Amino acid sequence: MKTLYWIGGIVVAGLWAGLGVRLLSQVNAHAAPAAASAAVSAAPATSAALAGAVPAVTARADAGSTVPGVADASNGPYKVGDQLQQSAAVTEKPYQASGKMVNGFQEIAWESLIPKDWDPMAPFKGLKLDQMTDDDPRADAALWKAKKYWKDAPVDPAMEGKPVRLPGFVVSLDREGEALKEFLLVPYFGACIHVPPPPANQIIHVKSAKAVKNVRTMDAVWISGVLKVERSDSSMGASSYSMKAVSVEPYSAPDKS
Amino acid sequence: MKLLLRLAARSAWNRRFTLGLMLLAIALSTTMLLGIERVRHEVRAGFSQSVSGTDLVVGARTSPIQLMLYAIFRIGGATNNMGWDSAQTLARNPAVAWTIPISLGDSHRGFPVLATNGDYFTHFRYGSGQSLKLAQGQPFAGVFDAVLGADVADKLHYHLGDVIVLAHGMGGLGLTQHADKPFKVVGILARTGTPVDRTVHIGLDGMQAIHLDWEGGAPLPGVHIPAEFVKKFNLTPTSITAVLVGLKSRARVFAVQRDIADGDGFKEPLMAVLPGVALDQLWDVVGIGENALLVVSGMVVVVGLAGLVAAILASLGERRRELAILRSVGARPLDVLWLLCVEGLGVMLCGVLAGLLLLSGLIWVLGPMLADQFGIALHPAWPAAGELQLLLWTVLAGLVASLLPAWRAYRLSLSDGLTPRL
Repeated sequence: MKTLYWIGGIVVAGLWAGLGVRLLSQVNAHAAPAAASAAVSAAPATSAALAGAVPAVTARADAGSTVPGVADASNGPYKVGDQLQQSAAVTEKPYQASGKMVNGFQEIAWESLIPKDWDPMAPFKGLKLDQMTDDDPRADAALWKAKKYWKDAPVDPAMEGKPVRLPGFVVSLDREGEALKEFLLVPYFGACIHVPPPPANQIIHVKSAKAVKNVRTMDAVWISGVLKVERSDSSMGASSYSMKAVSVEPYSAPDKS
Repeated sequence: MKLLLRLAARSAWNRRFTLGLMLLAIALSTTMLLGIERVRHEVRAGFSQSVSGTDLVVGARTSPIQLMLYAIFRIGGATNNMGWDSAQTLARNPAVAWTIPISLGDSHRGFPVLATNGDYFTHFRYGSGQSLKLAQGQPFAGVFDAVLGADVADKLHYHLGDVIVLAHGMGGLGLTQHADKPFKVVGILARTGTPVDRTVHIGLDGMQAIHLDWEGGAPLPGVHIPAEFVKKFNLTPTSITAVLVGLKSRARVFAVQRDIADGDGFKEPLMAVLPGVALDQLWDVVGIGENALLVVSGMVVVVGLAGLVAAILASLGERRRELAILRSVGARPLDVLWLLCVEGLGVMLCGVLAGLLLLSGLIWVLGPMLADQFGIALHPAWPAAGELQLLLWTVLAGLVASLLPAWRAYRLSLSDGLTPRL
């Protein structure tokens, strides 16, 4: 009889322990966003070495979305169009890279993959939007031309051989058993399905040196590796980036520095 | 300490029947826990091994998961076909390096029949980029040539030159057969460990030929076109089930996918699926069921542990005298605590090891049957890191659980065991 009491006691104790763990984890979940927002509000402007050249808006104009939100929780649920925050310190340019060196790989922003001399607004050259009437067919024609132009955005040959580090979302290609061997890295969440695809220079074809486990499509990761420019035959238009990744690690929001 | 261990072993041996039963319970629950984990991993690995290097699977609009399931894994059925001209348009896309058209729907004694063309043998890849190899014979050349997967040939004892009859539709009964147009086995593929092994491959023209005199899913009564005359007709397929697409540059995959989804140049709405992404989606769905299974097997382990604690607690009653005598000859209360802990841990360790052995034995005996029936290839292997972690947690839980009776024994006073109870 006494044994039964004991077993009952163990079960009740287990339930209490489980409840305690749940309560604790809830408290943590509430605490995290608060900490993140505090980090953002501090905002001392640090110098960003790279990625000043191209305005952030043009890089994202072809994504079809307006200004995407910043994912505030470090690994929280992302919305379509979200980009990963690269520097906690600069509030108005959260995607700007800090330019930090991590194990010999320099952190870059996705915008630095766009050639500095490439003007995304070129199809609008000579077009005086302010002098047009509403519903002007010329504006539409220019936009249509621009969309094609953005789709075939060129790569920057200067990036060849650069050891870089940047955050992005995974799109699975090939697996080896359960581990991921080849994938595409894209700058914003949901890039493959919901919004028009990113241009060729905003996709990196990653072949991991070591197959990575526990990574699925649209998981956020930091990758480090040496960039390579894949030249393609002229009929295909755009070239693309590829990378032999040296390290692939789960994304964590940058520390305030 | 050594003495304690020996004492624990001797005492346990004395109660070997009860403890043996406990050990069995723990072994069985460990087997279940590990078995579920093993099957889960093997199924996932098996699925991702089935296709490699294919950038897009294109077919009529349906669920991406379903398209993957029937085009690659031959599970479920096609809901809609796509036109042959769409496949042609797709093949002309400048970003496309190769295409493999496939047509499904017929079967041979329960094995699915896949109609394709020579590109299948050149471009199809599985595992980590291996191409298909013929163990015997050559790819199909004539209209009524067939190439068998390794399992089909093994199971049905087919050899080169044998004649087979395909059945219309799926299912092993084969009630409506294409008996008037038999196929000749011209090649047998080497084993791949993927659904290819369970597939009969024929040419697209062969698929078209056996359905020449069919209309509305049944042979037209009174109409019969003999096999020798099929070449008089146009054997270009009108529709196919899906197209596997390889691209020149994998980074272009979104652009091509978008082109197909937008319907640029196609007469019908089509869908392009990235196999890796579709598989990830599939695991998201299946993951819920998998977790439920894991929770259930975790429960079974907890029940086993509770049984162990109950058995040791119950044994305290019959061991009152034994423990009291130990105390009276100089054992400290702490020694008694250790004694019971060691017993619990020992039973746990032996149980887990026995469970591992049992699982390996089961896989060794039943593995081939599982592979045949469900296509899950299990091999006896050392436990992987994740499994070791599970085992470690189980043993630790056992240790903690055995602390309870140990603590109780620790609290029992010396006099309690020596006073005769009435």
